[in-house]
Amino acid sequence: MKRSADVVVVGAGVIGAATGYYLARSGLKVLVLERDFPCAGSTGRCIGGIRAQFTHDLTIRVMIESVRLFRGLGEELGEDVEWYSGGYLFLAFDEKRKQAFLDAIAIQKKYGLDVRFVAPDECEKIAPGLDPTGLLGGAYCPTDGQANPFKVTYGYLEGIKRLGGGLVVGCEVKQVNKQGDRVVSVTDAKGDEYACDMLLNAAGCWADEVGALAEVKVPVKADRHESLVTEAVERVFDPMLVDYRPDGCYFVQNSGTGHFVGCYTPVPLVPGHSVDATDEFITEMPRRMVRLVPKLAGVKVLRQWAGSYEMSPDGNPICGDTPLRGFYVSSGMSGHGFMFAPALGKLMAEQMVKGRASIPLDEFFLSRSFGKAEAMK
Amino acid sequence: MGYHSLEAVKRVLRTGMGHCQGRGCLKLVARLIQEETGIPAAEQKMPFPRPPLKPLPLGLLGSHKDEA
Repeated sequence: MKRSADVVVVGAGVIGAATGYYLARSGLKVLVLERDFPCAGSTGRCIGGIRAQFTHDLTIRVMIESVRLFRGLGEELGEDVEWYSGGYLFLAFDEKRKQAFLDAIAIQKKYGLDVRFVAPDECEKIAPGLDPTGLLGGAYCPTDGQANPFKVTYGYLEGIKRLGGGLVVGCEVKQVNKQGDRVVSVTDAKGDEYACDMLLNAAGCWADEVGALAEVKVPVKADRHESLVTEAVERVFDPMLVDYRPDGCYFVQNSGTGHFVGCYTPVPLVPGHSVDATDEFITEMPRRMVRLVPKLAGVKVLRQWAGSYEMSPDGNPICGDTPLRGFYVSSGMSGHGFMFAPALGKLMAEQMVKGRASIPLDEFFLSRSFGKAEAMK
Repeated sequence: MGYHSLEAVKRVLRTGMGHCQGRGCLKLVARLIQEETGIPAAEQKMPFPRPPLKPLPLGLLGSHKDEA
């Protein structure tokens, strides 16, 4: 069987769905091919945080645009995506971290972000129940927030269908077919062929494997991050709390349901595609949460799980053209794919259609030299 | 629609993510999927089970270092 589209997107995670949607909105026929089911990879394992507090200029600009899009996304997609502007509070427990936050705030303010350093007593007001022991203050941005990754992805995919495109599940791309120096189609494991003018690799932490089908090296590596969710309780506080100490963690109360969801970054990192859950996490994460907010001690844990971050060498996304004409990549989100998706989806669609995005993405191009790492991972 | 399995439906509707973690509801959801798709409920793959077996308080799970 042979089908054709203007654009074939590999991967029905939030990046493929969002980029596909903005491409469809510009009048192109989009087919999203998914090996497993929508949100089967990193998107479905993400806890839904959205923030513009970064240190890299382009990342900050992209995230300010993403927050703007998240605000209007429910209306745009006709789907309540549970956007909630609860803010992010990054906690500083030593002078070095405090200074790093002050430096970051100076960069973020250049782009008009509403962000400030707040004293420990104000941290307690923003997050009632927070234990201020050892706290020097926090970087607080009230316009950061959260949304539901499942609903956002679902909304974008349904939007693609409304605009005349489609989603094909159980479709594993096995071959990228070229004519001369450009891509013309892909073939899946069942032997079905999908012809296209443009092909987007949005395969998340498998983007290296999809790139290899076209002999394009995409430097992403999976590493495992674990999460847990608690029972729903009455509202305790609004912001995502981020504790960057070596045994820190980050967690937020889901705005719609009242569940707490949280993670930490393991030291050392755990490379590979395993999404097994560990005993260490289910005991360590609660200890870290209760240390920060003692009154959560009685809240019950419902489930733990794990997912992959698709790490790029510098922790910034890899977006744009590749050496093969018609073949594009959007991956390497390094743990921030969900929050980037609306803006990077829109900007990548511009890049693919017009050859230039309204916020130029050059510093995220595959062809860049991978340098300084993002400090607010 | 593109949502033909318990795992796929879970990621749209959150079925199996509440207090019972699917122990109560997923058999009913499987029957609904059978009605829609014809895939027999008994042949549908259950979502991957995750700890804990029953809800446990954060304070209890995190108390290991206090005892050491």
